[in-house]
Amino acid sequence: MRRKVFHWSVWILVLFCLLLATVLFSFCAGSVAMPLKKILKVIFEGRGTSEYSILFDIRLPRIILGFAIGGALSLAGVILQGMFRNPLVEPYTLGISGGAAVGVCLNIVLGLSRGLGIISLPVCGFLGAILVILFVYSLSIRKGILKIQGLLLTGVMISFISSSLIMLIMSISHTEDLHGIVFWVMGSLEEPNWLLIKLALGIAVFGLAVSYLFCFDLNAFSLGEEEALHLGINVERAKRLLFIVASLLTGFSVSVAGIIGFVGLVVPHFIRMFVGSDHRILLITSFLCGAIFLIFCDTLARIIIAPLELPVGVITGILGGSLFIYALSKKQVSLGGK
Amino acid sequence: MMRRNIILLVVLFGICAAAFYFLLKLPDNSARETGFSRHPMVRQPKRIISLGPSITKALYLLGVQDKLIGDTIYCIDPPEAKNKEKIGTVVEVNMEKIFNLNPDLVLATSLTNPKAREKLKNLGVKVITFSTLKDFSDICKQFLELGRLVDKENEAKEIVRRAENEAALVREKVKDFYKPKVLIQVGARPLVVATGRYFVNDYIEFAGGINIAKEARGGIYSREQILKANPDVIIITTMGMAAEEEKMIWQKYETLSAAKSGRIYIMDTDEITSPTPQSFVKTLEVFVHILHPGGMK
Repeated sequence: MRRKVFHWSVWILVLFCLLLATVLFSFCAGSVAMPLKKILKVIFEGRGTSEYSILFDIRLPRIILGFAIGGALSLAGVILQGMFRNPLVEPYTLGISGGAAVGVCLNIVLGLSRGLGIISLPVCGFLGAILVILFVYSLSIRKGILKIQGLLLTGVMISFISSSLIMLIMSISHTEDLHGIVFWVMGSLEEPNWLLIKLALGIAVFGLAVSYLFCFDLNAFSLGEEEALHLGINVERAKRLLFIVASLLTGFSVSVAGIIGFVGLVVPHFIRMFVGSDHRILLITSFLCGAIFLIFCDTLARIIIAPLELPVGVITGILGGSLFIYALSKKQVSLGGK
Repeated sequence: MMRRNIILLVVLFGICAAAFYFLLKLPDNSARETGFSRHPMVRQPKRIISLGPSITKALYLLGVQDKLIGDTIYCIDPPEAKNKEKIGTVVEVNMEKIFNLNPDLVLATSLTNPKAREKLKNLGVKVITFSTLKDFSDICKQFLELGRLVDKENEAKEIVRRAENEAALVREKVKDFYKPKVLIQVGARPLVVATGRYFVNDYIEFAGGINIAKEARGGIYSREQILKANPDVIIITTMGMAAEEEKMIWQKYETLSAAKSGRIYIMDTDEITSPTPQSFVKTLEVFVHILHPGGMK
């Protein structure tokens, strides 16, 4: 036991260092180059200069949002994969992102954002996500029992339906609206509103704290629902709460940053290869690794073809996918639950 | 024992969250300080960034190119505009680069990423957004607005007055000509056409033609509908290779009167879709020529 704790602490320490390094890298890199030495000078003496503003008003918000969204998505991925005992489940599988996307598209097409300001976009996205969550949840609950497989299938269908709906909206909308929709669907960590960024961070950390309360339940789930019940776990309560936590994390992430694929699928698997599938450590390390991964990808997206910017989803997909295949070929581990 | 550990962890998280929150308060305030004091009440902007080709063109026309410090990679007309600092595309701009150029006026279009516009405003940069051009009078109105912004109001008025006169002359000239049915295709796969909600429609109408897609709601149009309306002239705006391909497709339809008379033309996109009042009139002349070859009645 003691060795295990030591082992885990090392992992957490390593990830923290990596996180720090990534954040520093993200701070330094950009179309306006700032070597480390200069940054220190700017931080301590440069209040009011444009470099200071670039660091704290342009780069810092993106880093923080990357931390929150990356962490939240991977955390949701771990929870859902553990709950469903299915390695292919990711936060977007349950149709929550689709619901958010439809909400945002409707907002753009109906011109609400012009009247109510840009803040109405995430609000509509979140409403869409909540509606889907309620819908999927109420369809899959029978006599107080949450049917896991039903939940999964309904979710997948919802995401198909919503992607068709988005295409429908796009095909009948005007050119100027089309751009807004495409922007949003591509996903980006650029967010002008500080309150939303803080909220995203708060929700991500809160999600980690709450889901950590259920780490033993998640471990028990990997044996199967019935076995978990025999181990004395309140299976229904755990399932319901975990589902709600995961969907809220996803819904909020998607409505703030748009659809950033792959983080929630790859990071949990990747981490599982290294730390094993004990959720006590998996939850924290996945959160950290997701945050590192997304911040790193976003920085790459910013600098690869500067002054132009790539959508961050491009990098997460290519980098994440190839890294994962490489790791998989090196290390044969059983994926997901059973 | 385990429970207690977990509770401890949760408390730790809470503390972390609170610490983060206070850390974040710091840059929030500084943004306001640095941002809004940068350019108090700009009357005559000296450092302008243009985020649209037509805006760049208009700035050159107004003779304020020296104040233009950055534009998009699509700003290629006039050719000198290519040498300005590039800050991104029409839709996706590089925030750091813009900010580092320290502009006192950013001229954006409705295509510019709305989040980027909002962010620049939060940083204290004056951002003016020009909406999509609906018709010729819209072009003139925005040009005048631009003239006011860069303190060249009289020049702008003069240019608009001249363009309006010329446009009126053209309309007068073609008034009694036979009105051919016209289609302007702005995209292939999906087939996108210029509808009545877009200023391109005015090229057709001013030049004495009928836009067969005027009433269409969205951009995507069906080929059948076009064959049924049977346009006399089809104008394709270049999309590289696709334009030639599209031309060949249209030529295959033997019943199409534009194909029969060989009146399928390819025009440069930039010339058509990023207008100033002056370039509008120039392009209008080309249209008159295409729609009424040899002053045909």
